[in-house]
Amino acid sequence: MMYMMYFLLFGLVLGLAAVASNPSPYFAALGLVVVAGIGCGVLIWHGGSFLSLILFLIYLGGMLVVFAYSAALAAEPYPEGWGSWPVLGLMLGYLLGVVSVGMLFSSSMYDESWMVCDEFGEFYFVRGDMEGVATLYSSGGFMLAMGVWVLLVTLFVVLELTRGMSRGTLRAV
Amino acid sequence: MNPYILTILLFAMGLGTTITFASSHWLLAWMGLEINTLAILPLMCQSHHPRAVEATIKYFLTQATAAAMLLFASITNAWITGQWNLEFMSYSLPTTLVTVALALKIGLAPLHAWMPEVLQGLDLTTGLILSTWQKLAPFCLLLQINPSNTSLLLILGLASTLVGGWGGLNQNQLRKILAYSSIAHLGWMILVLQFFPSLTLLTLLMYFVMTFSLFISFKVNNSTTINSLSMSWSKAPIISSMVPFILLSLGGLPPLSGFMPKWLILQELTKQSLAPLATLAALSALLSLYFYLRISYAMTLTMSPNILLNALPWRLPSNQHTLPLAITTSLTICLLPLTPAIITLLTL
Repeated sequence: MMYMMYFLLFGLVLGLAAVASNPSPYFAALGLVVVAGIGCGVLIWHGGSFLSLILFLIYLGGMLVVFAYSAALAAEPYPEGWGSWPVLGLMLGYLLGVVSVGMLFSSSMYDESWMVCDEFGEFYFVRGDMEGVATLYSSGGFMLAMGVWVLLVTLFVVLELTRGMSRGTLRAV
Repeated sequence: MNPYILTILLFAMGLGTTITFASSHWLLAWMGLEINTLAILPLMCQSHHPRAVEATIKYFLTQATAAAMLLFASITNAWITGQWNLEFMSYSLPTTLVTVALALKIGLAPLHAWMPEVLQGLDLTTGLILSTWQKLAPFCLLLQINPSNTSLLLILGLASTLVGGWGGLNQNQLRKILAYSSIAHLGWMILVLQFFPSLTLLTLLMYFVMTFSLFISFKVNNSTTINSLSMSWSKAPIISSMVPFILLSLGGLPPLSGFMPKWLILQELTKQSLAPLATLAALSALLSLYFYLRISYAMTLTMSPNILLNALPWRLPSNQHTLPLAITTSLTICLLPLTPAIITLLTL
């Protein structure tokens, strides 16, 4: 199992170097997808399964999709990737830097967990701040409905603000 | 705008204020304020004019900053004291930060700079909603928190009255004048907040009535500059004869009802041994009175030179709903004798 963790972390650093070294948003976002996916895997390994699921859904499924659409609108005609020598050199430089700093400060990585638990004798129970989302769906039902309504109103507000074709406020598209 | 969308937005505005009114938890109060900000944005850029869009963006940025500061202060308070209740804030840092955030929300000096520019970009009806309804929720919060520092509120109040007076002096755009008048009145409200909160509520409600009548009078005349008011005597003579009273009521002259809040505030400040502050506030009201007088001079007291044709316009039946204007104008002029009853009503 440690072998798999080793691979995950290796891919994480590689993806991070890809994000940092690519001048084009397409390839940088691709690196970010890889990094987020591997980060979720590392999180699961340390016990934060729900957190990892939420990260995947919201970060990749929400924010990165929006970024992809915006990047597609503001198109770059000649994106530079690892094929060009300056970008590849930058990437190798970052990898070297990370490896050397990591060897300087390396310590044990099996100390902490991501799951917060409380002990009481021999009982273990989950804490309120980790299980707050479940509370939102049970006793906080009214606020959930309010949140849903406000999100719907936000949708209408955004659509009204960005109506296109000369009735629009922000862009005449 | 699509009537369904308009309904949803107005409902959301009512919902936001109601949520803030009903809340004792800081997160809920913040949520109500954010809903208010969100719902008024499409109303502000209805005309899709670049100036309106600019006003909308400025409003959004300042209100978002204020809401973020509010959230930061409430989370700091929760971190220090462990509870999220509005009324039990006992540490000075979160309370001061909340006060400053709410001051930015309503446009008190020295956090007032957005107000004239935002109001200038809006049409008169949306400006009215901004000046009146959007002030209700922050004031509800201000009335509930324990002030940490006596001098902070006094400095905010006095600065607002002075800035509202001096800032409005060189304006000929009516919406900017209304913005500075709003700043000055908010200053009066904040001055007495920590001594007699019912007077703050009284001043707020009186200000709503007075400014409603002024906004609607300007809207009936369809004028946004002082120059265009000069022919209102021929278009709507009764409104032209009533507007000086509304303006002098805003200036706080007896026997009009605008005198009521200023009188009671000066009395309360004197009782709290703040007589020099009361004197300064009363003197700053003179500055505001000057530009109210200037508007009434141009509108009613003088007839500007013009050709004969413009003095005899067709007085066609108007489609504007003037009943609210009639009601609020009467209230603006005649409410002073009811002062004891109103004070009793608000001190319950």
